[in-house]
Amino acid sequence: MIHLQSVSMIYPDGTEALRDVDLLIERGQFAFITGHSGSGKSTLLGLIYRDMVPTAGSVIVDGQDVAKLPPRRVPFLRRKVGVVFQDFGLLPQKTVWENVGFALDVVGASRREKHRKVPIGLELVGLADKGDAFPHQLSAGECQRVSIARALVNGPSILLADEPTGNLDPDTSWEIIQLLLNICQQDTTVVMATHDREIVDRTNCRLVQLAQGRIVRDAKEGGKYDAP
Amino acid sequence: MRLNTIEFLLHEGWDAAVRNGLVTLAAISNVAVALLILGGLVLFGMNVEHMASLQAEAAVIVVELAEGADAAAVEEALWNERVKNIEPINAEENLQRTIEGMGLGLMESSEASAELMIELLGANPCPASLQIKPMDPQDIPELARQAEGVEGVAMVRYARQVTDKLLTMARGIRISGVVVGIVMAVATLLVISTTIRLTIHARRDEIRIMQLVGATNWFIRVPFVIEGVLDGLAGGAIAAAIVLPIYSYIEQYVGQNLQFIDLIYSAQALVLFAVALVLCGVVFGAAGSLMGLHRYLRQV
Repeated sequence: MIHLQSVSMIYPDGTEALRDVDLLIERGQFAFITGHSGSGKSTLLGLIYRDMVPTAGSVIVDGQDVAKLPPRRVPFLRRKVGVVFQDFGLLPQKTVWENVGFALDVVGASRREKHRKVPIGLELVGLADKGDAFPHQLSAGECQRVSIARALVNGPSILLADEPTGNLDPDTSWEIIQLLLNICQQDTTVVMATHDREIVDRTNCRLVQLAQGRIVRDAKEGGKYDAP
Repeated sequence: MRLNTIEFLLHEGWDAAVRNGLVTLAAISNVAVALLILGGLVLFGMNVEHMASLQAEAAVIVVELAEGADAAAVEEALWNERVKNIEPINAEENLQRTIEGMGLGLMESSEASAELMIELLGANPCPASLQIKPMDPQDIPELARQAEGVEGVAMVRYARQVTDKLLTMARGIRISGVVVGIVMAVATLLVISTTIRLTIHARRDEIRIMQLVGATNWFIRVPFVIEGVLDGLAGGAIAAAIVLPIYSYIEQYVGQNLQFIDLIYSAQALVLFAVALVLCGVVFGAAGSLMGLHRYLRQV
């Protein structure tokens, strides 16, 4: 599903974010990407949704080398890869319903499709009754749920989450993880960058640890955050 | 494109223009001022050129016939596709016109003066002549040269310097009008693209989200282009609403007080001018938006 082969990434200012990374994530898998700040977690995710192009190597997503994708094809890749961020990225002047529907609007979905899919998305994240609320009326956890619903509403096969619990308290964080695990069980590949050790240790998922742009550990199942 | 998508894009464009009220107001007034200057310059240039052309069009070539020349034969030889009209003037008439033109009215009528002149001089000093009116005043020097070679022609005259100067002036005005027009158009475009860049900056989060959920660049551009078109439309309409009444007033004033100046005035032409001004605003608005977005969409 996602295959990074000998990927290196050096930013224009000379910072080496990733060095010779090889990583294969199978379809339907849940993988944590951990590491300190600046270890290359966000860069790794950015390469998958083609926010950047690697300096060397190839990034195969769903059988396609995204590094070689012409710019006009990038939007179509992004419809298959949902992305969730720490800061939620909701539009404050739009309601919850409109924020989720926005993802359908921009891909040219019909009105009927929108009215069918938005409630399903909101139902999935447990916010069916909050459609008319504005982001400032929601808690941080609810905002993150809206952002997950928006990332999922186009039915992507991959969900990337970059520190999705970074702004949340432990209980709410755990609820979000439960939600992501649930989504993964419905055949969506989930890759989550985090440095929340409690979450990693409580789940029994694959753990890929990065340090200074290299993969230093790849525990296929139930890896502990602090393990050597 | 689906109806729902069109509705979404129109709504986003309108919504953005309303939400960024102050920036929109700045854009509209910038466009209005730029188009006001551009429109004023165009009207001024058109009128100067119009007056120069009127003067040039009045210019004729006078071909004086040699003694005993056959006027009809010479006229026949002078005709070509660049000639609009040839008016034969016999010697008596020529003398009368000369007397009128020079203000030599010795007697009550010019006929009587002419007769007196012939009596005094013993002969008519003016030869029979042909007056050639060209299709295009620019052809005068060339037609005059051709006429000089025709048999039976004694002399060819035309207001060489005046015609040449007027023609050069008309050409100069046209060229400088185009240059000033281009400079103003570029300035207007830059003003609009800079203003649109402000609204783009204000909506960068929205653009980022659109890109992340898979919107194509065209889809992102359309609401901004609509916003630019709305700004241009309003700016153009304001410019037209200001420039036309002012021009009408000037035309009326000149018509009443400075009758030797002949300004262009036709309701149809002015309506066309207003439409052109609004269209300019629309085109500049759309182009300015695309320019403003071009760099931004590559950066994100």
